[in-house]
Amino acid sequence: MTSNEKIETYVRELSRALSSLEKNDRDDILLEIRSHLEHREDENRLDEALASLGPAGKCARGFFEEIRLQEAFTDGGPTKTIGALLALASRRITAAFGLLAAGIFYLMAAGFALTAVAEVVTPELAGLWVNADNGTYFFGIIDSENTADAVELLGGWTIPVAASLAVLALVCGQWLGRFFVHLMMRDRMKQRG
Amino acid sequence: MSIESWSSQLRKGAAELAVLAMLRKQELSGIGLLDELAQKPEIGLSDGSIYPLLNRLEREGRVKGVWVTPKNGGRGQKIYSLTPKGRAALKTMSAAWSGFKDQLSTIVGDAP
Repeated sequence: MTSNEKIETYVRELSRALSSLEKNDRDDILLEIRSHLEHREDENRLDEALASLGPAGKCARGFFEEIRLQEAFTDGGPTKTIGALLALASRRITAAFGLLAAGIFYLMAAGFALTAVAEVVTPELAGLWVNADNGTYFFGIIDSENTADAVELLGGWTIPVAASLAVLALVCGQWLGRFFVHLMMRDRMKQRG
Repeated sequence: MSIESWSSQLRKGAAELAVLAMLRKQELSGIGLLDELAQKPEIGLSDGSIYPLLNRLEREGRVKGVWVTPKNGGRGQKIYSLTPKGRAALKTMSAAWSGFKDQLSTIVGDAP
């Protein structure tokens, strides 16, 4: 790996590790670290500098620790207090959206899982149904009164399909939950900035 | 707490004072500070600790960093200088350090 590649790799990894910081702050840090490494490269001390900086994740933790330290000692005036309250409100909206989005997927996962179980207990009511009159599709458990108007398409495949969809919905719910937590953390870091 | 951990904590507190004191004498980049402190390893500033520290000091308004590019077109560097707030902090910290050092010396001085 050439020196330039080493520098680019390190800066890219550091950028990823600092992704929760506001872009301007992150770019400023990356520019300075890049400048540091390029200067050391000019002195033929790049490897020494990289070793001293440590892995990108550890280097990023150093910045986060100092930011937390600053936050702990900051004496916020009225402007900062109002800003913090607004930031908190925005985080709550973010959290509410996140909860709603993840909750919908978790409910879908529960519905698919219930369909898989129903296929074992009452196979005549569970499956992928198509209404013979209007051609609409429905996946799940239908009322026994409606079975005359509907045709079930999956048969024995209902269980694996329902189980797969349940797992997929669960994974999507978890991913969305983590995504919104990440958004909230980013808002928090912006507030720190 | 191990001796290494205790030494690390001691150096963390001293590093900020050392950086502010050095910037009182002259404007320096992160590399400049590291090179100046290279002969004083006990201060414990490394490539990995100087930039987070400078970043915090700048956020706190104690130092000001300005990107400077040499006229001959060389590589740019962020040069740090002490702000009035930094000078005031340095004055208070120096007084606290002086008192701390004197009192601790009287206690530790006689230890074997």
